Amino acid sequence: MTGPRNWLTAALTRLVAGIAIAVPAALLLGASPAAAHPMPHSVVQLDVHQTSVNATLELPTGEFAVASGIDLSDSTKAGLAGKAPSVRAYLARHIRPATTSGTAWRVTIGALSLGRTEQTSTGPYRELVAEAVLTPPADADVRHFSFGYDVIVHQVVTHVVLVTVRQDWAAGQVDGRGTTQVGTIRIDTRTMKVPALKVDLGAGSAWRGFLAMLDLGGDHILTGTDHLLFLLILLLPAPLAVRGRRWEGLVGPRAALGRIGRITLAFTAGHSVALAATALGRPAIPAWPVEAFIAASILVGAVHAIRPLFPGREAVVAGVFGLGHGMAFSFVLVEMHLSTGQLVTSLLGFNLGIELVQLLLVGLALPSLLVLARLRVQPTLRLTAAALTGTAALGWLVDRLGRPNPVARAADGAGSHTTALLTGLAVTALASAAWTLTTRRRTSAADPAEPQLGQEDRMASVP
Amino acid sequence: MSKERTSRMRSRRAWRGIAGVAAGVLLAGGGLAVANASTVGETKAAAVKRPVDKNAKGVAAVVSAANAFLNTLDSDQQTSTVLDFSQANATAWSNLPCGSSCRPGIGFGTLTDDQLAAAEHVLKVALGSGKDTGYEHVLQTLKADDVLAAAEASGSDSTGTSAEPTDSASTSASESASDSASDSASDSAEPADSASDTASDSADPSASASATDLPTGTPPSGGAGGSGGGPGGFSYGSGSYYLAFLGTPSADGTWQLHFGGHHLAVNITYKDGKVAGASPFFTGVEPTSWTADDGTTYAPLAKFRDGLLKVTGSLSTGQLAEAKLSESFGDVLLGPGQDGKFPETKEGVKVGELSPKQQKLVLAAIHPWVADVDDATADRLMKTYAKELSQTYVAYSGGTGLDTQGDYVRIDGPGVWIEFVCQNGVVYRDQIHYHTVYRDHTRDYGSEFSFS
Repeated sequence: MTGPRNWLTAALTRLVAGIAIAVPAALLLGASPAAAHPMPHSVVQLDVHQTSVNATLELPTGEFAVASGIDLSDSTKAGLAGKAPSVRAYLARHIRPATTSGTAWRVTIGALSLGRTEQTSTGPYRELVAEAVLTPPADADVRHFSFGYDVIVHQVVTHVVLVTVRQDWAAGQVDGRGTTQVGTIRIDTRTMKVPALKVDLGAGSAWRGFLAMLDLGGDHILTGTDHLLFLLILLLPAPLAVRGRRWEGLVGPRAALGRIGRITLAFTAGHSVALAATALGRPAIPAWPVEAFIAASILVGAVHAIRPLFPGREAVVAGVFGLGHGMAFSFVLVEMHLSTGQLVTSLLGFNLGIELVQLLLVGLALPSLLVLARLRVQPTLRLTAAALTGTAALGWLVDRLGRPNPVARAADGAGSHTTALLTGLAVTALASAAWTLTTRRRTSAADPAEPQLGQEDRMASVP
Repeated sequence: MSKERTSRMRSRRAWRGIAGVAAGVLLAGGGLAVANASTVGETKAAAVKRPVDKNAKGVAAVVSAANAFLNTLDSDQQTSTVLDFSQANATAWSNLPCGSSCRPGIGFGTLTDDQLAAAEHVLKVALGSGKDTGYEHVLQTLKADDVLAAAEASGSDSTGTSAEPTDSASTSASESASDSASDSASDSAEPADSASDTASDSADPSASASATDLPTGTPPSGGAGGSGGGPGGFSYGSGSYYLAFLGTPSADGTWQLHFGGHHLAVNITYKDGKVAGASPFFTGVEPTSWTADDGTTYAPLAKFRDGLLKVTGSLSTGQLAEAKLSESFGDVLLGPGQDGKFPETKEGVKVGELSPKQQKLVLAAIHPWVADVDDATADRLMKTYAKELSQTYVAYSGGTGLDTQGDYVRIDGPGVWIEFVCQNGVVYRDQIHYHTVYRDHTRDYGSEFSFS
């Protein structure tokens, strides 16, 4: 099975690459002004879809005004709205993609906005951000084209345009973090003409898209603390028995394993169904109620870990709340504006990535869950974990309801320490396994006939 | 059985440990040996003294000064100073404060006082002696960068620094709005066009990775007399200027004096005992003028600007219309990396159609750039440009005042190419600053390279 290995390799590579990038970046940030043009350049970011290309244009307003004669110093919404028709007309005149054989693509200029930004050595400046959709004629190749583009450059002849690809599903570029440079557009000073940029995005394939989505899915659950936390907090009391309205005593390893399996399976089923339904159905669901629902689910899980709220029905709860988590997963896919074919493949890859990493994490947590339940400190540990989780969930809930707060920020931040998380889980898993082995050996040495755990173990874990 | 396995594993681990230690010892030993070997080589190389002749004239005097400087260096320093006269090395210059990441050579910030004096003597002999040109001009460019370094170090308020710009209050010397660009892509790498031209630029990963962010706010390391940028670091200050000899300096060979830093690139190519090219020469300045602690006012490019102002000021309305370019300029057209890319069609008003008096003004306007090489060479080049004057064109864009962003003047002849452009300030943001470049259609880099 290549899935997990691919994912792991990708994760490791990313880790190494991350360090390789982060270290020099940190050094350079500490260093001071970096090299770049003192005059800001334009940036064109391409999102390559199956039958069209979305372009996001970032244009310095100063140069834009010189080139187009349109003054955008009035940065109010009304000011921009009044000028939008002339801005769109100007942009449409200067964005002229064509097939390699010269047939013009259709260009639609979409949303416009104004903002402030900064490039190296430029100091802050104002920029116009414009969205454009570039559509080739039917059946024409979207991955190879001649990018005729001379916005600003036709007039400000020293201006430079950086063209990058931000998303290219078929080339496996989906996570929206890195961009790859396609080329630069600037005037040929010999002829004083702006040559079209030859764009060659390679072959591209559904397989690369699938792998990228697999990676993205795994990454999503690993860094999305909320999903993981919900599942783990629900699994925490799984080995415990209920006496009255309290967690007390153990249910035995086999029963515990059964519960853990059922909860995990139900969560998986719940989020898979919701993910598929919302991704394919594309209903316009706002994000905040879903995010709030997830925060609430974690809170409920935390309370349940303290006092049993729904003993024996954890799987049902996991399934129901799993629906909410699945909807949240689907936002990632919806944001990518994929075609239906790409979406189905993505759905498979993304979900598989999620399940594989979830399986890995539950597997790593399993020994600890079983062992911790038998330790004398179990109640303290459980209550501490539940309290911490509950606090994070409350923070998230308040945040999702419109009040950003440091608790939510800290909880979100925890998701970026994936290496520490994995190491911690692995170490506790190893320690738990070792502990189990040594206690088992001790008990079997004391009474070779006793196949099950000794009664005193069970007694020891009762507070 | 499991015990057996663990013991096997344990012994395997032990072996691995021993192997690791052994490898470590080997590595360390090897490193020591190599280090020793290189020290031996060092003492040997340092023993080679290059000939110095205090009475030499012309190119021989430049060679003698270069040798005297090299004699003050240890072998490592010599290795980073004397480099191949390759196209990649020759074209590796920039107007940006990108330290050693975009230009070869030895950093002034790394030199001792004696070494620095010897290096400055090389510049004194090689560059012209006219007031505000040549050596003096270069020194002023370095001083301007110390002013920038001080202004950046003192944050947004430049009062209380050793030097202050004379024109207009410097309220927003360095706004430290650290709002970074919206996306890493917009920062990612300064547009490295046509890789072949900017070979060293684009090949240098630090150069492209470095375009991360934060032009302002973080105080640069190079203070007055600067410590020099670290490897790949970016900083203002006279310590961040780099001197290299491309090829071994000799009175009859081919080699190049390559010196530069922020706002400065000097490329003088020597061939068979003569200067075969004094270009490309980039010179710019920010702030455009300032008064130092001792009361001296500096304006390194005033002479350059004034010559052009006299030319454009002499043009009639009709001539101005003819000279006006339809394009707009945010920088010089033929800056770093744009070698050999002269426009095929000359634009503007033809100098041959101007009055004799106006023609003289054009020639005088060319002079400050050409005068940044030794006087004899400058005279020779000026004679050539005088001969070609009637075929030379003057053009401008923006306003003719050379005081507003986008104001631009160009002189384009069969040989000479001069551009002067005004840009908004980078450190002194409420002022403009100047970028200029002098090239020669046929003599850049001593005609040693062809650019396709």
